[in-house]
Amino acid sequence: MSDSISTFSLLHSQFASIEVDAPSKALIDPSRTPYGESTRGPVGSNARRIDGVEKVTGTALYGADLFFDRADLFAQVVRSEIAHGRLVGINSEKSLKVPGVVAIYTAKDAPGTNRQGLIHRDHPVLVEDRILYRGDAVAIVVAETEQAAQQGRDAVEVDYEKLPVIATMDDALAPNAPKLHLDGNIMGGKRIRKGDADAALDASDLIVSETFVTQTVDHAFLDIEAGIALWDGHHLTIHVSGQWAHEERRLIALALGLPIESVRVICPATGGAFGGREDLSIQVYLGMVALRHSNKTIAMRYSREESMRARHKRHSLRIHYTVGAMEDGTITAAKITVYSEEGAYASTGPAVLRKAASHATGPYRVPNVHVDVYGVYTNNNPTGAMRGFGACQMAIAYEGMMDRLARQLSMDRRELREKNLICSGEAVTTGQIIPLATGVECLDAAWQQFERGAGKEKPLAAHQRRGVGMSVICFGLGYGDGFPDASRATVKFAPSGRLEVYTGGVEYGQGLITIMAQIAAEELGLTTNEVDVIWADTHRTSESGSSSATRQTYFTGNAVKIAASELREQVLDAAGRLIQVHQHEVDLVGGFVVGRFDPQIKRPLREIVAAAAERGFDLTGQGIFKPRTVCEDFDTGQSPRSFITYLFGAHIAQVVVDIETGEVRVERFIACHDVGKAINPQSVEGQIVGGATQGIGMALMEEVVMKEGRMLNANFTDYILPTFRDVPEIETVTLENDDPGGPFGARGIGEPPLIAATPAVLNAIGNAIGVMPHTTPCTPQRVWELMNPELALVSSGVRMLGLPDHARMAR
Amino acid sequence: MSDTATENGAWRLLCTVNGQPVDLQVPAHETLLYSLRERLGLTGTKGSCLEGECGSCTVIVDGEAANSCLLLSPQVQGCSVETIEGLAEGKKLHILQDKFLASGAAQCGYCTPGLIVAAKVLLERNPKPTDDEFFEGMEGNICRCTGYKSICEAVRAAAVEWKRN
Amino acid sequence: MYFQPHTLEEALEIRAKMAADVLPICGGTDIVVAMNRSSRPSANFLDLSHIEHFAEVRNDVGTWILGGGATFAQMGKMPVECLARAAMTVGGPAIRNRGTIAGNLGTASPAGDGCVALMAMDAEIELAHATRGRRTVPIADYFTGFRKTALQPDELITGVRFSSDWRTAWYKIGKRGAINISLVCCAIGIGRSGEARIAFGCVAPTVLRARIAEGIITQRGFSDAAVEEAAQSAMREVAPIDDHRSSAAYRRAMCGVLARRLLRQLRDRPVARGDAA
Repeated sequence: MSDSISTFSLLHSQFASIEVDAPSKALIDPSRTPYGESTRGPVGSNARRIDGVEKVTGTALYGADLFFDRADLFAQVVRSEIAHGRLVGINSEKSLKVPGVVAIYTAKDAPGTNRQGLIHRDHPVLVEDRILYRGDAVAIVVAETEQAAQQGRDAVEVDYEKLPVIATMDDALAPNAPKLHLDGNIMGGKRIRKGDADAALDASDLIVSETFVTQTVDHAFLDIEAGIALWDGHHLTIHVSGQWAHEERRLIALALGLPIESVRVICPATGGAFGGREDLSIQVYLGMVALRHSNKTIAMRYSREESMRARHKRHSLRIHYTVGAMEDGTITAAKITVYSEEGAYASTGPAVLRKAASHATGPYRVPNVHVDVYGVYTNNNPTGAMRGFGACQMAIAYEGMMDRLARQLSMDRRELREKNLICSGEAVTTGQIIPLATGVECLDAAWQQFERGAGKEKPLAAHQRRGVGMSVICFGLGYGDGFPDASRATVKFAPSGRLEVYTGGVEYGQGLITIMAQIAAEELGLTTNEVDVIWADTHRTSESGSSSATRQTYFTGNAVKIAASELREQVLDAAGRLIQVHQHEVDLVGGFVVGRFDPQIKRPLREIVAAAAERGFDLTGQGIFKPRTVCEDFDTGQSPRSFITYLFGAHIAQVVVDIETGEVRVERFIACHDVGKAINPQSVEGQIVGGATQGIGMALMEEVVMKEGRMLNANFTDYILPTFRDVPEIETVTLENDDPGGPFGARGIGEPPLIAATPAVLNAIGNAIGVMPHTTPCTPQRVWELMNPELALVSSGVRMLGLPDHARMAR
Repeated sequence: MSDTATENGAWRLLCTVNGQPVDLQVPAHETLLYSLRERLGLTGTKGSCLEGECGSCTVIVDGEAANSCLLLSPQVQGCSVETIEGLAEGKKLHILQDKFLASGAAQCGYCTPGLIVAAKVLLERNPKPTDDEFFEGMEGNICRCTGYKSICEAVRAAAVEWKRN
Repeated sequence: MYFQPHTLEEALEIRAKMAADVLPICGGTDIVVAMNRSSRPSANFLDLSHIEHFAEVRNDVGTWILGGGATFAQMGKMPVECLARAAMTVGGPAIRNRGTIAGNLGTASPAGDGCVALMAMDAEIELAHATRGRRTVPIADYFTGFRKTALQPDELITGVRFSSDWRTAWYKIGKRGAINISLVCCAIGIGRSGEARIAFGCVAPTVLRARIAEGIITQRGFSDAAVEEAAQSAMREVAPIDDHRSSAAYRRAMCGVLARRLLRQLRDRPVARGDAA
């Protein structure tokens, strides 16, 4: 390129002067982004999943697949039969007599702290005294066969002292309620104080209030918790799927009283997570047994029932939401009180409260905000991480309020939103300024897509009504709030010449390892076929943080990019030295080192790498990505940068409601998301469609039903997941407004599609039947109750979470 | 002539799996899913809900889709059983497997074997299914990750190129 | 012990000898679910899946005859509206390929879709004993209590029969589009002389007929007033409960909705012999 400039100016010095305002197009390399990044490789392409072949041939090894030919002993956990009380005694006599049963362990056999919990270590691995939910583990039975372990488990006799069950948040908040934890039944809170909401409400033309209740949701990943462990006298190796291998390793080591460096966690192929593998599941049970049976591979798996009964769930939120607005539709204030059901233990509850608070007004301009979020303990399952993490429940509320406001103002719902959505340079709930806010753009793009396909609707029967609803959301990715959040990766060449990427991140179907391969391959001028990704093995991979919080594309993507570009520099430096050329005059293209100006220079990359290795060059790129976020102020909840970046999205749902039975069918669905850059557009679409489907499930059919601390639907017959027939072919629109801090401009995609979907469906139902839903899921019965409030009766026998009973609700 | 179990509750299972004859002693009450995975090492077929609600355990018995978690192994006595492991021929993938890869229809991959097997049965019977027939054939399989769109795309693409054997 | 006879005679002999000590299994889609949920397997099985001709479906001069082993997949293809529709709403294809009518009748769940459809057609259940021979029990007398039937412990359900003369309709309310456990289901059959059968599932300890509602239609036909009265009566005749799936109030109201809707459907459908859907 420099050649052409010098020739150009030489030539033209002989002629008349030239205007040089506009740079010559010849000087712009079309294969690079405006930031100078290469885009001629796999980034931006639908590269096939690098673990795809194993998955379609059934050869990928998930936790339970490791049993065959390896398992020596099997373990099963005895769970509490009561939801609240004390463990009085355990009688193992009958159990030990079951043929094949080898041992039974209880808390007294626990070697370390016997504690788990991602934020507070408040959860005993094996019950010592207090029992706080019907999933607390009381004992572990070990046997030579799985069936013997199950029979041994059923033969253990446990004596309990029952205490009154705190079945609901109202029970927990009642004046003389038994205290579930030292500080009582409130786990803590989070607040936002911005401007003066009370004064602004007083000055508003209009005030609208509603109480929303969102349900307890189960992750229901298909790959039930299963895995193996082995203690060889020096190392405890655990093969169990999680979401943060390095953190799991630390927690396991502490719980078991082992030096951290002697524990190795390896994630097998993982079938879904959605936040459900953030807490420990079977790892410590396996470890405890392994330590007692050296050199024996211990195997354990849950049944579906145990998986549902034991695991944490999504927080159920009760949201009292008041919005003030002027007659012209300008929103003035929001005052919000949230009760979040924490269940028996804290899990990631404190972080969920935080995220709910910081997303309480979503993508809207609300100058005066007053939020209080309280966590309330009960004797139900601990509630913790699940895709959306508090922001999804809040979106149900703020998007529900937008439709209600529009109705009261007799204003078009879209117009009201566009009027109040923040623009670039404006602030969200926490006061953080968003440099690029594309809520309006997403909403407009979604409507454009909607209009393209409109007019093809089937005629309706007399008992059917059609409705359309929309939602706009925003979401801060990463842990945020100053919580340490970093990702590290290593990229290097194996002796075979293949490129290797090392990351601690967990692949559970989102396509993580493929996009990391794409990023690394892009930097090194290779294809993903030439890349291997080694992931989630604490002995081999560096810590990349959890696969959660929609953070991996941004954090680990950046770490891999940094590492790969470091390696690229090293390779180019080596090439320069080996070929005797300036390193900036060569490039890596298609597996070759090529001259950028001299076409004669072309050497296979492998050759250069091999020669460099032989000469002792260091060819290892390390990347660390550790951006700074700022804690939210304790009193005001404000922060100049709580989250590293924000994602925007808008959905439109078209539903048909049978107004006699309450059945709802989603007829059409459009999902628009601004992802910055789609590293793998097919994977982005997969996440959008999959996340929206989970959101539709949350809107219409999924709920965990508890009665006095007992789960009534711990199975797939009665925990209803969306099937082929429950979702239309979801139409996706992907916007790519470059994020200056993301790898190749990418942000992420994991959670927003779920967050935006549920409110769009609810708003569509409201549009169809003329009554706004306030409680999820909108099962046929609930929709019927909305239309027939005088006929709805709530029997006291079954307290279905979320059935509206406004009179009883604490405010 | 009736077959009965021996006193200790064992059953001599005689059938074919992926074209290979099987002669295996199993406890009579053992599910086919368990026998396939834990005795024959064919771990491609998965267990998830264990109640016939998700289809992860789908196998083909005498040409028809069946939930292996709900079959006691003796029930396939004398039958021909096909699992996901029987689809590819060496390194050559079955067209459904190839289309699943091309469409990105395997995300976490756990439902994938059951889905591919169900799709195979569907297309073998009816290589040009209508939308209704498609849903009838696939509605017994749940996917928690994809939202079904990429799966529909993959199966449709396979149908277009389907050759009857 | 595990028995897998190849003839019905052998099966009946084993059942007669062992009675309640042996558990008949055909498709297994109810029994094995229960086994998977508990760690204690049942002791003795009588496997009917290898009996020749047990899954036969045939029409004999205006009477449908189903062998006990007839599967939901087979029923789904029959030109009998309520039974075919009910069958196609059961699980997915893999369940339909194995689940049998004998199993549905044996389990006798009040949510049994096949049972509800048969109830609307005055089906007759054939029960057989090795030496006492075969007997038929009208389906109206077959369900005697919650998951209890007229089947003796030493008998097997060997078949079902019903007339092709019924004009029928079916609807099932579920929480999603497929693989549904019914919240409420309804089957209505109108006989050759206009006699009505209105059957509901999930609103009583057994599958239930709303007999007073039936009488209204049988005697007065399908006028708007009669249909409305029948729907109101149906709501009073059912005994739904609150459970984790749904509330009694909703189920009761849905009985009225479904009765009204299906009666109108049958009224407005052109009359034809048999039940071409």
